[in-house]
Amino acid sequence: MASHAQVTLPLPILPEGWTGEKDFKAIGNLSAATQRSIEPVGPHFLAHARRARHKRTFSEDDR
Amino acid sequence: MSAEGSASAPAGRHAIGISFGNSNSSIAITSGDDKAEVIANEDGDRQIPSILSYVDGEEYNGQQAKQQLIRNSGNTVAYFRDFLGQEFKSIDPTHCHASAHPQEHEGTIAFTIQDKEGDEKSTVTVSEVATRHFRRLKQSASDFSGKEVTSAVITIPTNFSEKQKDALIKAAADAGIEVLQLIHEPIAALLAYDARPESKVSDKNVVVVDLGGTRSDVAVIASRGGMYTILATAHDYEFAGVHLDKVLQDHFSKEFIKWNSIDPRENARSLAKLKLEAEATKRALSIGTNANFSVESLAEGIDFSSTINRLRYETIARKVFDGFNRLVEGVVKKAGLDVLDIDEVILSGGTSHTPKIASNFQAIFPDSTTVLAPSTTATAVNPSELQARGAALQASLIQEFESEDIEQSTHPAVTTVKHLSKAIGVLSISGDGAKGVFSPIITAETAVPARRTVHVAAPKEGGDVLIKIVEGGSHIKVTKPEPKAKENGTKDDSDDSDEDSDDEPEEQREKVWKTGSVLAEAAVKGTKKGSKIEVMVNVAQDLAVTITAREVGAKGGVKGNLTAP
Ligand SMILES: Nc1ncnc2c1ncn2[C@@H]1O[C@H](COP(=O)(O)OP(=O)(O)OP(=O)(O)O)[C@@H](O)[C@H]1O
Ligand SMILES: [Mg+2]
Repeated sequence: MASHAQVTLPLPILPEGWTGEKDFKAIGNLSAATQRSIEPVGPHFLAHARRARHKRTFSEDDR
Repeated sequence: MSAEGSASAPAGRHAIGISFGNSNSSIAITSGDDKAEVIANEDGDRQIPSILSYVDGEEYNGQQAKQQLIRNSGNTVAYFRDFLGQEFKSIDPTHCHASAHPQEHEGTIAFTIQDKEGDEKSTVTVSEVATRHFRRLKQSASDFSGKEVTSAVITIPTNFSEKQKDALIKAAADAGIEVLQLIHEPIAALLAYDARPESKVSDKNVVVVDLGGTRSDVAVIASRGGMYTILATAHDYEFAGVHLDKVLQDHFSKEFIKWNSIDPRENARSLAKLKLEAEATKRALSIGTNANFSVESLAEGIDFSSTINRLRYETIARKVFDGFNRLVEGVVKKAGLDVLDIDEVILSGGTSHTPKIASNFQAIFPDSTTVLAPSTTATAVNPSELQARGAALQASLIQEFESEDIEQSTHPAVTTVKHLSKAIGVLSISGDGAKGVFSPIITAETAVPARRTVHVAAPKEGGDVLIKIVEGGSHIKVTKPEPKAKENGTKDDSDDSDEDSDDEPEEQREKVWKTGSVLAEAAVKGTKKGSKIEVMVNVAQDLAVTITAREVGAKGGVKGNLTAP
């Protein structure tokens, strides 16, 4: 996935007085997820299965 | 999953892809550069009819067996795939009327045929029939590659039961084929497209429409970064390829009756000839705008020859085509989606060669949807070859694996995972100011763990920017344009009719994002003029989120975490 999706509409300017620890502010959590089955087919699934079985993350896998 | 008797060590394996339908089978191999190709059998056919026939103890398979439906139908076994692993009371024997009839036999299904020299008949179970068919496929593939085929990935419908799967694996094993994996037909078709060098890995919703001979199957698939999740499926046995054959049979029968006052459908042999020729005419109509229909001695020694043009065919076949449309529209709804949510429609199966079917789908889906069929996309893959190709690609991916590794990887512990229920995106500002516009970074139905990156424009003048990460959902906005006032002197009054051409303006349907709850905010300070911000969202298996943002090309940046809910 070399090329990334592009968003052309610009980001807003940081409001006056905005603060956050190390410039980051956690506000919420993700909504509940759905359990579904992924099809055990294709190269990307095999990479997923490898990560799952070795309990590796994406960035560990990148190395 | 390994098959007893034929378990082979990965080193000695030679694996192929097999698609095994009620009507046709095909075999595919991958060549050195990981390209899959469907190979021809000894008769030169890439679509090998799933039929066996016996004449004086000699076995015929494929196209040669299909020809035997005219003169030797009782010793010809056809349309048997779906009977594997089933009980007699739950099968539909309709398609076997004009060939060997399935019967109940010791808890399974069998056919009584004369498969040896002499007059003695044998009772051959459906499992044995499938095994004999697999032997022929194995032989053809081995002859082609000059090396014995030992293993295969075989495609199955999405509604095959565990019993059907077990029966299929056993039938293949008895033919000396180790089944590495059974994969779903629509997934094989999608993989065949995604494996093309020009395909980009992306996030898309795909509908695979598999129109075969005796059944039509549709699947809606969330394709996310090359991983596939089936969201909904539908199966139909009322509208399929044979029903199009029937339309043509009836059409030409009526013509024959008009001239000869004989109904060729009333005689078994005449009917068999009608069927074969109707199918040939139907195929010809996929390429040409006119096709011949001609049968020597159709009934009572009378030859018959006629023609039909495509338009006429499309008119008389409309009921069947409409059935396909309803099936597709229904399954998109069943998946909780709208046609506007579908990025790609893949046409698979032999019947998908029909141009009108593809153009009907183009009319159902918006212009933004790509309909991949021979008549709509020049680079489309032959719909009859998609499944076998996908199976061969999967075979080449896993043939080096130990059987236990394959089994472990396909285990529900690995395949059942959380999928996002809402999209995660970033807010931008639109031209007119204060209101935020949602742009998705990771879409709903993406399996986790998942990681995606986007580049978002910073304001033209640069400076400090706010990155607001939110959840979002989409809905369909329907706008009815104001009915045009009747009085205004229209310029287009020259229209040849004033029927209700424009008193019902077409409603506009569009997909719009609705911003949900806010997840996080981050600041990237001191950006240069005209720069871009790279935002990466990483969702872990437990739904914890890591967000990073930095100016593209600059050092440092912001990083923060959201805990698992
Ligand atoms: N060029 C063509 N134009 C129109 N129809 C075609 C064409 N080629 C094949 N068909 C039809 O496709 C059907 C067979 O499709 P396919 O090979 O996908 O079968 P299958 O998956 O084995 O079928 P089944 O649904 O019985 O399991 C037949 O009805 C055949 O006449
Ligand atoms: Mg099929």
